[in-house]
Amino acid sequence: MSVVRLESVGKSFMRRDGEQLEVLRNIDLEVPERSIVALVGASGCGKSTLLNIIAGLVQPDQGKVLLNDVPSREFRDWRTMAYMFQEDRLFPWRTTAQNVGLGLEAFGVPRTERRERVRKVLELVGLDKFADAFPHELSGGMRSRAALGRSLVTEPAILLMDEPFSKLDPSIRSQMHDEVLRIAALKGMSVIFVTHDVEEAVVLADKIVVLHPRPGRVRETRTIALPYPRNPLSPEVAEDVRLLRLSL
Amino acid sequence: MTLAVSVARRTARQALQERRVRLILLRLILVAGFLLLWQVASLGTPAFILPSPARVWGAWRNLVETPSFWTDFGITFWRIIVGFSIAAVVGAVLGIVLGASRLLGDLFEPVLVIINTVSSSIWAIFALIWFGLSNWTTIFVVFMTAMPLILTNVWQGTRTVNREYVELAQTFRMSRTKVLTKIYLPTILPLFFAGARLAFGFGARVSIVAETLGASSGIGYRLRQAADLVQTDQVFAWTLTLVALMIALESIILKPLERHLFSWRERQSA
Ligand SMILES: Nc1ncnc2c1ncn2[C@@H]1O[C@H](COP(=O)(O)OP(=O)(O)OP(=O)(O)O)[C@@H](O)[C@H]1O
Ligand SMILES: [Mg+2]
Repeated sequence: MSVVRLESVGKSFMRRDGEQLEVLRNIDLEVPERSIVALVGASGCGKSTLLNIIAGLVQPDQGKVLLNDVPSREFRDWRTMAYMFQEDRLFPWRTTAQNVGLGLEAFGVPRTERRERVRKVLELVGLDKFADAFPHELSGGMRSRAALGRSLVTEPAILLMDEPFSKLDPSIRSQMHDEVLRIAALKGMSVIFVTHDVEEAVVLADKIVVLHPRPGRVRETRTIALPYPRNPLSPEVAEDVRLLRLSL
Repeated sequence: MTLAVSVARRTARQALQERRVRLILLRLILVAGFLLLWQVASLGTPAFILPSPARVWGAWRNLVETPSFWTDFGITFWRIIVGFSIAAVVGAVLGIVLGASRLLGDLFEPVLVIINTVSSSIWAIFALIWFGLSNWTTIFVVFMTAMPLILTNVWQGTRTVNREYVELAQTFRMSRTKVLTKIYLPTILPLFFAGARLAFGFGARVSIVAETLGASSGIGYRLRQAADLVQTDQVFAWTLTLVALMIALESIILKPLERHLFSWRERQSA
């Protein structure tokens, strides 16, 4: 089974001047169960749009979107999917803990269980000391970790992440890599994430999809067969990073 | 806490205290200057035009002792509260409805413009025709003054709702009612509050006008009575009472409530 499958998906946006802007053309993508897929490509090549299509927020003009082998329109288990947007989208009137618990509130999880699950996730993303802080009291990196926590707390089977670690310093970034890999392995979670960091893509992903801009097309799909955990300093990883850089 | 931090904190607190003392001093000077000016001005003027501060003070003390003072005070206060409360509920609900539906919003926009152009005194005259000398005259005028202000603010508030937050809620498949209470309400609340505060001030002021025209009790009625009898010191005493009431409401209820509700904002701007 594949958790996500795109078949010749295309999308154009109407520009303000009335012109059609073709953003995605003929995209095929397959995300097998328990796999981690990285999307890389130049700015503006449609990576976020692609995630929006998978999340059902944007309807494609052409092609098919299948989730768990069911057409997206007939898919019912949306609550097994979590989407961490490119922006943190934390509500300024909510504390970190309240922001992280948003999804659980939407699902109607009782308060005591919610509090416990939020507490665990905050510890996981290293924000337990900032549970009662408001977003404007957090640093950029802390805010994106809060947004990550908000996506993880619902224990999704499919996790979409748009440049999730771009605001983190290297040591916290590799900590978050480890956490996501650990949770993915533990819960059998599938992950699709966007990154501009080639090394990050190689360290995390089974499969790397390189997009070509204007309009966005799949230029290349690389499989990374290295065993986890992958050391960014190892020669195997360095070699894959080098090859990937060449195709970008 | 390190020593440096605690020292920094102490000086910060000291600075705050100094500012507060300075502010209080300035206020006292202002009041003293005002009283002095008043005293001087009243010296060469007949009391029925400008009574002296001492005379007004005396009139006020007598006023407070009359049994009808508190009933007049209470009835005016009650009319303002009732008119304002209905306005708050109706204004908030209509504002959300008009903000949620584009069709209704476009349809009713001109109505709001028209209501806003009608002066409160005209509402008072209509109220007098419709309700006669009753509580409802004043309540209606307060309502018609306060409601459009609150409605407009809430309506504007619905337009400032962040689409990205709603989209996020959509990824959780959040129900419509939850989107309303968890995103719309917190976004609108500060604007609702600003509108309500403005509306309360306007409502309180026009209530007096309404009472001078269409009531047989209350502060406005007493004011007119005093004016008819050329009891200028009484007019001043009632005016002082009103000013004191509004200042008290503002600093005892509204400001603390606002500070409490929007602590997340205050810290943001600090
Ligand atoms: N709602 C929209 N209406 C019109 N144009 C849009 C819309 N959303 C995206 N676009 C356009 O589609 C193109 C791709 O946008 P997208 O956000 O998917 O790029 P991206 O690959 O995520 O870029 P980045 O790496 O900078 O985040 C851009 O040219 C953008 O202007
Ligand atoms: Mg993007």
